[in-house]
Amino acid sequence: MKLGFSAIIGLTAIAGAVFVATTFTTPPIDSVQRGYRGTGMIQSYQDRAYTRLVAANQAPEVLPAVDLEGKKASVEYKNLTVLGDLDKAEFDRLMMAMTNWVSPDAGCNYCHNPEDMASDELYTKVVARRMLEMVGTINTKFKAHVANTGVTCYTCHRGQPVPSYVWYTDTNISHASGYAPIPSGQNRAAAAVAYTALPYDVFTPFLKDATDLRVISSQALPQTDTGARKSIMQAEWTYGLMTHISDGLGVNCTYCHNTRSFTDWNQSSPQRVVAWNAIRHVRELNNTVLDPLAKILPASRLGPAGDAPKINCTTCHQGTFKPLLGVSQLKDYPELATPLSIKK
Amino acid sequence: MTEYQNIFNRVQIRGETYPGIALPAGDDDRFGKGFFAYWVGKVANAQVGPIYLGGWGVASALCFGIAAAVVGFNFLAQVGWDWIQFVRQFFWLGLEPPLPIYGLHLPPLAEGGWWLITGFFLTASILCWWVRVYTRARALGLGTHVAWAFAAAIFFYLSLGLFRPLLMGNWGEAVPFGMFPHLDWTAAISIRYGNFYYNPFHALSIAFLYGSAVLFAMHGGTLLAVSRYGGDRELEQIVDRGTGVERAMLLWRWQLGFNATIESFHRWGYWFAVLTVLTAALGILLTGTVVDNWYLWAVKHSFVPSYPPVFHVIDPALTSGVAQ
Amino acid sequence: MAMLSFEKKYRVRGGTLVGGDLFDFWVGPFYVGFFGVTTVFFTLLGVALIVLAASHGPTWNPWEISIAPPDLSYGLGFAPLNEGGFWQFITICAIGAFVSWALRQVEISRKLGIGLHVPFAFSFAILAFVTLVVIRPVLMGAWGYGFPYGIFSHLDWVSNVGYQFLHFHYNPAHMIAISFFFTNALALAMHGGLILSASNPGKGEVVKAAEHEDTFFRDVVGYSSGALAIHRIGLFLAISAAFWSAVCIVISGPFWTRGWPEWWGWWLNLPVWR
Repeated sequence: MKLGFSAIIGLTAIAGAVFVATTFTTPPIDSVQRGYRGTGMIQSYQDRAYTRLVAANQAPEVLPAVDLEGKKASVEYKNLTVLGDLDKAEFDRLMMAMTNWVSPDAGCNYCHNPEDMASDELYTKVVARRMLEMVGTINTKFKAHVANTGVTCYTCHRGQPVPSYVWYTDTNISHASGYAPIPSGQNRAAAAVAYTALPYDVFTPFLKDATDLRVISSQALPQTDTGARKSIMQAEWTYGLMTHISDGLGVNCTYCHNTRSFTDWNQSSPQRVVAWNAIRHVRELNNTVLDPLAKILPASRLGPAGDAPKINCTTCHQGTFKPLLGVSQLKDYPELATPLSIKK
Repeated sequence: MTEYQNIFNRVQIRGETYPGIALPAGDDDRFGKGFFAYWVGKVANAQVGPIYLGGWGVASALCFGIAAAVVGFNFLAQVGWDWIQFVRQFFWLGLEPPLPIYGLHLPPLAEGGWWLITGFFLTASILCWWVRVYTRARALGLGTHVAWAFAAAIFFYLSLGLFRPLLMGNWGEAVPFGMFPHLDWTAAISIRYGNFYYNPFHALSIAFLYGSAVLFAMHGGTLLAVSRYGGDRELEQIVDRGTGVERAMLLWRWQLGFNATIESFHRWGYWFAVLTVLTAALGILLTGTVVDNWYLWAVKHSFVPSYPPVFHVIDPALTSGVAQ
Repeated sequence: MAMLSFEKKYRVRGGTLVGGDLFDFWVGPFYVGFFGVTTVFFTLLGVALIVLAASHGPTWNPWEISIAPPDLSYGLGFAPLNEGGFWQFITICAIGAFVSWALRQVEISRKLGIGLHVPFAFSFAILAFVTLVVIRPVLMGAWGYGFPYGIFSHLDWVSNVGYQFLHFHYNPAHMIAISFFFTNALALAMHGGLILSASNPGKGEVVKAAEHEDTFFRDVVGYSSGALAIHRIGLFLAISAAFWSAVCIVISGPFWTRGWPEWWGWWLNLPVWR
């Protein structure tokens, strides 16, 4: 079919319009200005998208408060090593809540043998104990990050046995052989680093190992200690983690930094201090809680390298600046704000 | 306004293709007779070709082909030889320089060696092309201004990929091959060295880049505006000033109070474009070698604006007793 | 009288858009015209406001002077002078001065009997400025989205707005604009170099002609645009650079709020290879 010149122009214009309409978004925009006016330190959200985000990050319904029965749960139930000191009524309520938060479909039987509720035969029950310990640690020791808002099982699990956003060690398998290049760890379209071509496994060096994130020099002239110098490649790794943090929290770089001088704490927001603490907390949890779970978890729950699932910023934040938009569940479940450690 | 604006050619003349100024005997290595392309002729000269081959040109094309093949096969290997993924992830794929630990030594092929080979052949191709540009000008009895402008651009290219890595002592500082990867490098070098907006040579280079756009808009617009008086016949108007360029000069003299001539304008344009890359090269060569953080350097030299403080934050590493 | 040797015969009346003969005269080499008067008015007022605003600031160092737009909380209303109001008035003066300059270019072009290509091209530069300080702020609901007026402070704004989108290099319109800027610089170097090489061919050579221009580029790259067309091409490259720059910033915020790398998801997720 021969098309005239005008027809070709017209069709191209229509195709272009369809392309633009489907790949971009539209106003209205909601914004928060954080720095001094004119510096451009602004968080912007498309109104409709933000409404959807808010709807998807609501705290779940709170179970009604219960009257205390006056006796400890450890009197009624056997083999309680973490929550034994709770009132039995509180204990039952917490178990209901945990079921709603983690395994609403499978119910109690996700962790328990219904014939013998005290039995540890299911690995999920053993893992749940470690998880409770972890929640207690976060809510008591990690206040520099979670303040009094704290976390519960729901913060990560959101009604699913396995949280949606976990990560495994990237085995970096090379498909080619011979003289083909070994994987550089970057230059792929990776969701982990917000679809940039930056290094994509930024979690292992920074959220498991304690690799130094700081790459920018603190003086104008070059340091004499050439061994301590950081390279452009190292800057890309740090930049990669930063895109993950941005993506995970649904914020941009100016949430924490005045980008004219990334390194300058005087020009950074208090959230940067929270993030500094958060990185260290996540490292501690990955190393002391999550990775050791590999011994307990079945192979189907492990990654390609045989490691346990680990956490990063998105695991809890899920695209919001504070998980569940800063709503604290701890006021309704104060028992989770106490140190919960496994008693031998 | 239904006046003709001289943007498109309304009439295209056809005759024989023009074979070009005769070259000295023994130097005539032109290929083909050329042909006419109607849609090209709507805007510019319709004749495409002939092209001069020449030893330097052929060598340049061969070296470039080798470089492109090395990059292409590296990309393909990185997606497991899957052509679909090759196309899908093409913009993200990259060929990285060696890691900094290798310094300036030759690394294994698979760990930066291919990057060095590509760089070598691409550089060879560019240098051969430079010789081509220079010799073609000389063969036609022209000045060599175009070749020297090209040399400035080559100097910038070599500063990025050769001189600065040499000065820094490792290849790892050089630019990777790849669409998005080279953009990541651009962002990363600015992050690493304290914000390139405070590098005064970066600022100069941008001023010249934007200035080149201003100048070509001015020049293109002016000459089209006086094309009805033959102003676009620049070489004739240089040696024999006509009403076309007289009006062009007055357009600017009456606006600005001063003006260039039809010849001197080309010096303005030439230098703005050439200085874009020369100052850029200087800015790159000074980064990391002489200055490690451009923002802090700017603070030292008193050109950083101050804003009323909004936050009051201290480095937690200082108060927590932790090393990092 | 500051006139060039051939200038007198061109100094005729006519070509004005506004004011007829009232302002149709020259001051030294400068043409006045109604829009020359308005240019001077807006420029003097704008510069005076800049100096006044700077006097309220912490410094007279010209690199550090900065006049900031209002807080976002003022929306599209007027802010107190010291809280962004100065910025607003200076913006009005700037737009007034730029538009006056363009209209003065029109008057001069009409008087000289030449085309209006120059004011047409300049309009795109004005469009880019107006996009940054009017169109985009209006689309986003506050004057505070404009950039501060300061030599280095406006660069702080550029840096932060860029990082609002995590990695601004991935903005597709930004890529197009940069490509046009670089190609324009290349074309200007090539064209400037070619003209100079033909008119300054070196010792012992005669000035060359259009045939030499064409032959040089046909020999080197297989194609020569010709003397007229290179000016069309240069004008197109330069205007496109300004146009796509305006596009790249107007889509950043009003038409996209996430990181720019993420926009490329449409390509990665095409059904044919998802």
